[in-house]
Amino acid sequence: MKTLLSILGGVANVVIVLLLAPFFQGVLRKITALIQSRQGPPLLQPYFDLLKLLGKEDIESGESPLMQRFAVYLSLASVLTVACLVPMGFAAPMNAAGDVILLIYLLTLCGICTLLAGLAAGSTYSLLGISREMMTMIALEPLFAVAIVVGAVHTQSFRLDTVLNGSVYASTAFPWSGVIMCGVMLLSFQAFVQRVPFDISEAETEIMEGPLMEYSGPKLALFKYAQMAKLVIYSALFVTLFVPWGTGLMFPLGWLVFWAKVSGLVLLVTLVAATHARYRIDQAIRYFAALLAVALVALVLASYGY
Amino acid sequence: MMSPEQAVVASILLCLAGAVLTLLVSRNKTAAGWLAFAVTAATAVLILSAVAKVLAAGPSAHPAAFWAMPKFGFALRIHVDGLTAMFLMLTALIAVPAAFYSIAYMRHYEDYGVARYYPNFLLFLAAMYGLVSTTDMMWFFFIFWQMMTLPGYALIRFENKKPENIRAANKYLIMMQIACVATMIGAELLAVTGAKVTGAASLKYDFDTVCANLPVMLVAKPGVTALAFALFLVGFGIKMGMWPFGQVWLPDAHPAAPSPVSAMLSGVMIKTGVYGLMRYFLWLVPPSAQADYPLAKWGLVVAVLGTITLFTGTMQALKQEQSKRLLAFHSIGQIGYILFGTGACMALLPVKDPNVAVLAAIAFFGALFHVLNHGLFKGLLFLNAGSMLHATGTQDLNKMGGLMRFMPLTAITAIIASFSISGVPLFNGFVSKWSIYVAAVQGSGSAKYLAVCAVIAILTSALTLASFIKFFGVSFLSRTSLLVKVQAAKRRGLEVGWMMQLPQVLLAALCVLLGVAPVIAFNLMQAAMNASQHSYGIALAKAAPIMGGSLSGLQQINSAALFAPVVLAAVLGIVFLAALAISKLGSASRRAATPWLCGYMGETEQNRYVAHNFYGEIKRYFRWLGGMPASHKPSRIQVVPQTNLQ
Repeated sequence: MKTLLSILGGVANVVIVLLLAPFFQGVLRKITALIQSRQGPPLLQPYFDLLKLLGKEDIESGESPLMQRFAVYLSLASVLTVACLVPMGFAAPMNAAGDVILLIYLLTLCGICTLLAGLAAGSTYSLLGISREMMTMIALEPLFAVAIVVGAVHTQSFRLDTVLNGSVYASTAFPWSGVIMCGVMLLSFQAFVQRVPFDISEAETEIMEGPLMEYSGPKLALFKYAQMAKLVIYSALFVTLFVPWGTGLMFPLGWLVFWAKVSGLVLLVTLVAATHARYRIDQAIRYFAALLAVALVALVLASYGY
Repeated sequence: MMSPEQAVVASILLCLAGAVLTLLVSRNKTAAGWLAFAVTAATAVLILSAVAKVLAAGPSAHPAAFWAMPKFGFALRIHVDGLTAMFLMLTALIAVPAAFYSIAYMRHYEDYGVARYYPNFLLFLAAMYGLVSTTDMMWFFFIFWQMMTLPGYALIRFENKKPENIRAANKYLIMMQIACVATMIGAELLAVTGAKVTGAASLKYDFDTVCANLPVMLVAKPGVTALAFALFLVGFGIKMGMWPFGQVWLPDAHPAAPSPVSAMLSGVMIKTGVYGLMRYFLWLVPPSAQADYPLAKWGLVVAVLGTITLFTGTMQALKQEQSKRLLAFHSIGQIGYILFGTGACMALLPVKDPNVAVLAAIAFFGALFHVLNHGLFKGLLFLNAGSMLHATGTQDLNKMGGLMRFMPLTAITAIIASFSISGVPLFNGFVSKWSIYVAAVQGSGSAKYLAVCAVIAILTSALTLASFIKFFGVSFLSRTSLLVKVQAAKRRGLEVGWMMQLPQVLLAALCVLLGVAPVIAFNLMQAAMNASQHSYGIALAKAAPIMGGSLSGLQQINSAALFAPVVLAAVLGIVFLAALAISKLGSASRRAATPWLCGYMGETEQNRYVAHNFYGEIKRYFRWLGGMPASHKPSRIQVVPQTNLQ
């Protein structure tokens, strides 16, 4: 029974992410257009884009096409696997298969696929992009790890259902560490979902989509799909970690509240993205380093019970 | 049937005999190679059966004495308990592929014979078998240590026509002698003062005597005892490449040696330092004296040194542009993880709480598992680097590119090794790091600094990934470099022969196996702890921190942390197929092309994005940390004939 439920839950999460991700992207594009006084594409445009790309010619320009294919399929696959680890209105489906450390490393795996794809394509622009992407990952992974570890220190557990349930506030005293980490994650959230002002590794206007530059057709579709899904998954993670309130309500209500919160976060991402200019990579690294210093302070506070 | 101790001695004698024989037939490289492999394989069979016996049926009750001269306190006493068994197993597991790889690899040295190679290789191997199983802290420790150091020295300066190799070997020799002296002074302090305090005289350097003396020592002479342990830490720290000592010799020594020896140096030899640390700090003090022994303080020192080691080693590795030098710096980094795990264990063991004891045991298992894993993936990586060197004639990553097209099998094993060392789930490195993080984060309730150290370790894991993305990407992916094109045209194919592929495939298979079924390793380690129940081994064995099955994976005993690799692999596999299916929906046609270069016709060698160009900003911010490659001033900006401009 338990196994069946978690299989059903996993399928549900994957399907919801696949169905909703392009919609959120559509919302994002529409609102960006409105802010910039444009008409903007229809809300369903991302679905059409994906469908169109799936039928376009697939040009492989790298030294090892096998690696290109592998990286592309794995990129969507790893994102969808993460979707099974995140509670989305229900308990995390793969609760019995891994803990939050696995979650941290699986999120890294999503990044690795983009890196491998860029390397396999081999264009200088791609390599430039993946060098930037990797530097961003070095700075971001520990930020997310600190948020998780703060929760784990408070609850003395690594289980997904325990930690991804507002655990950062679960201290006995006033949860200073949780509040600080919430701020830190908000300030770096654009980078996690690879949006302006931290979309440095793609930077369409300077290095022409970086790692994705050489990709076309179905491969590009899968990459774009994975990127849209990442927005949903990271938003869900943020909500479960930092905005847990109301999710515990009765079935349709709690579920609706959860997705309302996720939508709110996507809206916030959109507003920031539409009103900011891209940072240079050195500026971004300095910014993340400052945030990391603050996060380590929060971690020390957490281990002292705050 | 031989006892485990007899098997170890037989292996050592076999190696010595093999050394003489290989010297005699050394004019025929192939024959000497096969002979050395046969000897190595025979010792591996002996050792592994001994290990199996110890882990299944427990160790012999007492050390076996083979040769004693009691007047000098001198006796060859060998004891194979669980801890020793794990290190013996690692040695045998890496030595066999390395020896097999040598047969084909050593043939490509045209200027050097193998008379200085195989005999030294076998002596080196014999010494490692001996060093991890002797119970004598002075004479036989010295003999085995020198038997490891001097052949190691000869192997590192094997290519003695290059002056930098001789310098590297000299540095290695000096550092190892300092380590030897430090450790022996430590042993002397414990033995002599111990003998003075208690009057026990015969075999005063034996573990049993020192163990018996320690309770009195810790009370009567705490200062001297602490000094002795500090000297042990320094001595073994030098051997294993701990910061700040490791940076002095290790990055020069590993690249200088022939690749299979680099694999042995990094995979096994530096682990004897880890063995010494674990044995002396955790298996000497008897339970009755543990209240007087400041293990938690030593834990703090070791964990902090480990954290510094893992960060500095990996950050310096990130700057490297020579394949084997990069790997050597990563050996320092990965030793940092092992030290950190051991230190966390030492910090948590003295806490009187069964839950914390479980965490201490998890930390120890993580460290011990990482010893094994590092041997496997780093051994493999050095063999990969050897194959790359064999194919291209260079260690310079700046000159490589696009090798995956020419050597696909080496590329696949290299990516498995790179994923393992970077801690990608489903590969073995992830599991050992997982254990260390689990213990350190939960243990931060008892030792506050552990959580911060753990986050630095997680950050360093991203640095490791960055470094290996560079290592793998610029050599196997990226675009084909001029050098690779020239070599491929000259040699008609670059892939190494099956005799060099087989050991790489074997090690890669072990990495994947232990990644998907880590429960095998945890069962072995639990058996090892059950078979070494003295001193702190008792507590570690009793904790039995992990329950697991092949399907349910690993689970901390109170279910606070869990990892089920088989389920993860199944889910990942299914969604991978789903992604594949989605990409086929539009039945798009496929075509090969060259990359778009913004209108330029072709790419010249100078315009390739090479290893040197990666991570410029991070390298600049951490310039103060040292380790910048000396040769990074671009000699690359020479004008190369622009063959591909049309």
